[in-house]
Amino acid sequence: MVRDITLGQYFPGNSLIHRLDPRMKILITFAFIVFIFVAANFQGLAVMLLLMASVLLLSGVPLSQYLKSLKAVLFIVAFTFVLNLFYGGGTTVWSWRFMRITDGGISNAVFVAVRIFSLILFSSVLTFTTSPTQLTDALERLMKPLKVLHVQVHEIAMMMTIALRFVPTLLEETDKIMNAQKARGADLESGGFMQRVKSLIPILIPLFVSSFRRAYDLAMAMECRCYHGGEGRTKMKQLHMSGLDAAAAVVSGLFCVGVLFCAFHFPAALR
Amino acid sequence: MPVIETKELTFRYGEGTPFCKTAIDHVSISVEQGEFLGLIGHTGSGKSTLIQQFNGLLKPTSGKVLLKGKDIWAEPRKIRDIRFQVGMVFQYPEHQLFEETVLKDVCFGPKNMGLSEDEAQQRARRAARFVGLPDELLEKSPFELSGGEKRRAAIAGVIAMDPDVLILDEPTAGLDPRGREMLLSQIGAYHRERHNTVILVSHSMEDIARVADRVLVMNGGKAVMLDRTEKVFARGRELESLGLRVPEVTKVLLTLREHGCPVHASLTVDQAVEQLLPLLKKEGAVRG
Repeated sequence: MVRDITLGQYFPGNSLIHRLDPRMKILITFAFIVFIFVAANFQGLAVMLLLMASVLLLSGVPLSQYLKSLKAVLFIVAFTFVLNLFYGGGTTVWSWRFMRITDGGISNAVFVAVRIFSLILFSSVLTFTTSPTQLTDALERLMKPLKVLHVQVHEIAMMMTIALRFVPTLLEETDKIMNAQKARGADLESGGFMQRVKSLIPILIPLFVSSFRRAYDLAMAMECRCYHGGEGRTKMKQLHMSGLDAAAAVVSGLFCVGVLFCAFHFPAALR
Repeated sequence: MPVIETKELTFRYGEGTPFCKTAIDHVSISVEQGEFLGLIGHTGSGKSTLIQQFNGLLKPTSGKVLLKGKDIWAEPRKIRDIRFQVGMVFQYPEHQLFEETVLKDVCFGPKNMGLSEDEAQQRARRAARFVGLPDELLEKSPFELSGGEKRRAAIAGVIAMDPDVLILDEPTAGLDPRGREMLLSQIGAYHRERHNTVILVSHSMEDIARVADRVLVMNGGKAVMLDRTEKVFARGRELESLGLRVPEVTKVLLTLREHGCPVHASLTVDQAVEQLLPLLKKEGAVRG
């Protein structure tokens, strides 16, 4: 069903990772993603994987959830894996007509696949342990310097919050409309491509209409409460950095140094 | 003869996840052919989930749903046929309108059944008449109608499929008193004229008392009462403990009865007057 799609994937909990300041989590996640690409060899990647394993365990989110998030990119990974197999030097392992797989190709393919998986896992840790509101709050705070460039930071953050807030609502609405049309015999599963696109009309139009209705209602409600944007607005939930955040920053820093060390001391893996 | 039967029907949402919740718990009931069944229960009691089992929108976790004696999931590929036989009007059905004209929208169901254009239109016009939708509205866009008219158009869209069982989930929610009154009497008229089964889910005990032959009470996913309307509402105290009420007039009579007055629970004001007037005359309170 539609409801099974994980978008707002927040997994409530009270683990160490959950308690980190969302700003720190975003910064660290960003650093990790950069360092996944800095890690140019398997040794460096091993350091990242070690870090990942400890973060995954610390987060207290069931591993099955992480596996689910990997499933979403399985196709892309498989695709790049196969492509990479055929690019690379070294000795030939297998060949058939014009196709040739080398040991270099295999190691490249594995390397890239692990990279993509790590990328997804790190960002999953962020979205699993941080509620969407925390996330946008933190982004708003982190983007504050952009105000100098006249970027409407608060408005952007507000739009993101509203969009995130309405994802589950619209999914629920979609579910309801789908059920209502199915009850009138709408056939959503069978038929050719054009047939299926056509069968979406009875769902999309009501969904569109109701989205506009909700938008009008929300705008009205916001105006009634004198919402006028970010100027002079205070926050109910203030973000605070704590000792935990400092510790997290130090530990992550050490791992990054480890990756850098590997990058300089061992040869690059991609050939 | 039962038209819908459930056998030890159980349904759990999100099986195998931490959010698993039992919405329906071993429900075994039967709905008789041609009856008007009221379905009550407080929010979250499993009413909506139960009716979605009846037309195969949800698949039972265990147990069976029988339609005219046949398991509806015997052939999962033919579940669409079940949905034509068990018509379902959801809460706020006006949100499902999508076509360019009201007529086309009402035709959506019949056309999905594979009927010809003519046949579908014929049925749509007949259904529109049942719900009191004037002919001149049929060529308008459904989005131009008023709230009450939209509701009627949406209900017509289900009635046009001519289902053997019509299920309505709170059809009068959000309508003004006159709109409620009209819609309810039209549903009653439809039921009398077509002799098919109607299941009405409602929070309004007055509505249920007026139209239902029998009442099914749900609580915590279980079917706790299924009996003739007056018998169910005579158990006022029990209903109140389930977070429900009885119609105001029934409550008055039940209270009188508790104080030793020789009356039985009536469902409508007229019935109550019939009982009370002779009593009052006897006491000399009213001069006949």
